[in-house]
Amino acid sequence: MTTFKNDLVLNLPDITKIEFKKIVKSYLKVIIINFFLFFIPLFTGLILLHKLVFHEGIKIYIILIYALFLLLFGCIFLYLILSFPKRKYALREKDISYKSGLFIKKITTVPFSRIQHVEIDEKPTLRLFGLASLSVYTAGDSSDDLVIKGVTKEIALQIKEYISTKINE
Amino acid sequence: MSNSFNFSNFSRQSSKGVLVIYINLIYNLIKFTWFLLFLIIKDFTKLSNSLGANYIYLGVAFILIFLLIRAYLVYKNFQFKIENEYFILKQGILKKTNTAIPFHRIQNINFKQNIIQQIIGVFEVSIETAGSSATEIAIKALSLSKASALKELISKSSILDKEVNIDHESKPFVKIGFFELFKVSLTENHLQNLFLFFAIIIGFFQQLQQIDYSFGEIRFFDDLIEEGTNVLTTSIFLLSILLFTLIIMALISSFVKVFLIHFNLTAYLKEDAFEVNQGLFTKKSIVLKKQKIQNITISTNPLKRLIGISFITFKQAVSGKLNQKKDKLIRIVGCKAAQIEVVKKSLFDATELESKQKFFPDNYYKRKIFIISFLILVILYLILYKISNSVEILYSIILVFPIVVFLIHKKIKKRYYKISDSMLLVGRGLLETHITYLEIFKVQNIKMKQNVFQQRSNVADLILQTASGKIKIPCVNFKDAVKIYNHTLYKVETSNTSWM
Repeated sequence: MTTFKNDLVLNLPDITKIEFKKIVKSYLKVIIINFFLFFIPLFTGLILLHKLVFHEGIKIYIILIYALFLLLFGCIFLYLILSFPKRKYALREKDISYKSGLFIKKITTVPFSRIQHVEIDEKPTLRLFGLASLSVYTAGDSSDDLVIKGVTKEIALQIKEYISTKINE
Repeated sequence: MSNSFNFSNFSRQSSKGVLVIYINLIYNLIKFTWFLLFLIIKDFTKLSNSLGANYIYLGVAFILIFLLIRAYLVYKNFQFKIENEYFILKQGILKKTNTAIPFHRIQNINFKQNIIQQIIGVFEVSIETAGSSATEIAIKALSLSKASALKELISKSSILDKEVNIDHESKPFVKIGFFELFKVSLTENHLQNLFLFFAIIIGFFQQLQQIDYSFGEIRFFDDLIEEGTNVLTTSIFLLSILLFTLIIMALISSFVKVFLIHFNLTAYLKEDAFEVNQGLFTKKSIVLKKQKIQNITISTNPLKRLIGISFITFKQAVSGKLNQKKDKLIRIVGCKAAQIEVVKKSLFDATELESKQKFFPDNYYKRKIFIISFLILVILYLILYKISNSVEILYSIILVFPIVVFLIHKKIKKRYYKISDSMLLVGRGLLETHITYLEIFKVQNIKMKQNVFQQRSNVADLILQTASGKIKIPCVNFKDAVKIYNHTLYKVETSNTSWM
């Protein structure tokens, strides 16, 4: 229906044609650990509620409550595992891209010339496997900028170095 | 002129500044404790009987004197000077702070006058810096000559250009008089203003109610509300009175809002900046550098279109969270078509863009909105039916259904984009129409989103992030989306122009 014209340059570099690199495999372990760090306190909380607080009226449905709870977290867990291979990033000469998402595919590209600063942070669970996450900030509301979680620390530093030289060019 | 003032040694504000600071302190105190004051005044006789009125007066006097001393100390400790192209500021009574700002970091110097500053004839000078929001400095009281001298001195040796200097001899390109402002407020979005008004009122009542709860006296407001609802259900006469008052209130809230902010609006066009002066109680003079403007939005509504006016919203680059910086949105209301052309022409070349074809979202967008709104309608009616238990309520569908369809139709018709080599235009709106102009190279980063349903229909959402917020183009055909994506990146990466 629609035809988009661009007369000046005929062959623009195509974002869909570039090769994306996958996130380091061991980051999956970090995701799983983080999941359980989140899940176990909630689950013990539920058990405590069951044993100490709930009165008889609720206890009739207790199996249903447990089933729903486990189903919900089972789904989240499954989603985390299945969406893992979709997390990919790519560096080009002038920009950096990240894509992710199983049901909602997302791709973000930040040109180097618009980067304000780069941040590497290593949370305890990440450090366990020698990993780091790399955040790139642009001007304006930075809540939605690009973050690559789960690259090895070495590569994170390399990327940071690469971007720094590119910004200064 | 600049020689008549010596900034190389530390100097203080105008001595009238004590008064400005004093009133500001009192104002802040009242702002934070108004509900307490309200209670005290409400039960004043009761309190004065038990405590003795003299003690209360004494307490008030003590607070006022304390604030006066504080104001004097704040004034005494607030000193600034200029040294080696740095603006240096010392402040703080107990916690001393030293701030030094290099001239080249200074973006804007704005003059402002609230009602007290107007009465005693001083100006508030605020110094805006790029980037970090923490270093924004406001000097509360300077005489006009000293303020202009300071501004001139800083502008002379920095990137702030000469043209920025206030020069009231030139003719303003927009000047909104009293009558025109009247027309503007008459055609405002009254519904929105009414909601705003109610939000404030409801917030006010909630706060009162909370306090009343804590004092164990709930009855008054609840009785009032209950009484009101009872009467409401029984009398249509009162209903129409209520409707009438609502309309009047909506009109009044529009008038108050417009006159407070935009009174005596004049806008000047300079070589590389706009200067906008407006405000009733708080006069603001803002210098908007063209380079700093990230995008502009031209908005109108059916009423405004009837008398041929619209308003322009300029968006500047902001740092940090957007909603905290509402004052960075600068609006010129009541513009005629010719004036809009002047603004557009002075900022960018949009002639190529205007002749381009309009692209509407894919049919998927239409389907999505229809399905979502009908789901909401069905749920709403189910809830209403559950509550009222009467079938009569379903009759209103005859009225509601066509309105919803009409609104959705309007929304879809106004959603479009146009793209040329260097510019992007995005239209949106429901009853109002907003058209945003963006120079593509000012994009900060770009995002493409596609959910499972969109994948099946082969469409995607595009989100362009600028330094002043996001611009969304929903449900573009996937092939076009990729083309725009690539083109935007190409434009950003090949441009050498500074985006700010």
